Amino acid sequence: MDILSIIFIVAGLFFLIVAAIGVIRLPDVFSRSHAVSLTDSLGAFLMLIGIAWHEGLGTNMLKILVVLALLYILNPGITHATVRAALRSGLKPWKKENS
Amino acid sequence: MATRTRPISSEFLFLKAMALFVVWVLLSASFAWIHLGLGFICSFAVAWINSGHSPFVPKFRLWLRILLYLPWLFYKIVQSSLQLTKLILHPALPIAPQLISVETKLRHHAAVVLLGNSITLTPGTITAEVDRNKLIIHAMDKTLAEDITSKQIESKIADIFKDEEPDL
Repeated sequence: MDILSIIFIVAGLFFLIVAAIGVIRLPDVFSRSHAVSLTDSLGAFLMLIGIAWHEGLGTNMLKILVVLALLYILNPGITHATVRAALRSGLKPWKKENS
Repeated sequence: MATRTRPISSEFLFLKAMALFVVWVLLSASFAWIHLGLGFICSFAVAWINSGHSPFVPKFRLWLRILLYLPWLFYKIVQSSLQLTKLILHPALPIAPQLISVETKLRHHAAVVLLGNSITLTPGTITAEVDRNKLIIHAMDKTLAEDITSKQIESKIADIFKDEEPDL
């Protein structure tokens, strides 16, 4: 495995870990879904680029890029649906106490 | 959506497909069933797409502009990802979530979809509700919300759609 794909995958892992920490630390559904969107915007992106680089040119790389494109199109839809459902069911977003 | 005001007749569509098929046979110079069948299907598909009957008309200029918009969006995503990472890892967790409501001047369904998608894709801001041209956005803190209120994304998208027929 060459060094560049290792760098990409480790960087992706870093963002995935940050997202997981965010899901635990943040106070409510709305802010947690921000942390989750960090997963697909940079975490999954860097991971998949690393894997695609490792695979080299070919059909596998193409498939990974298709997965990436689908991820970027579909994930905002899912996040939006979750947040909208939370908002419509009457959940109030967490606010800072002193403000 | 179709740019032609009057769709062509089905006889003419058939003739067009046949003409395309003849060109296919001449160029491929192969009479294997797989090639003839593929050519038949392709010539009908091409004739149909360009006939005004089909609901989708290829808009190459629009797609090219959207493609050119993506690198800028990606730059924005990386920028706010790093900002959000800093917020999450900060020991004091200095977040100030807020709901902001924004009105857009976009007049296309596709443009509003693209705007909402871009906003959600950018970490730190999520489109919570869309109603024609009013968006409710949940933002993680003030600086992340500024990207939305400064209408930077919206003006980029308005640029992409400036030559299209409004449909909203």
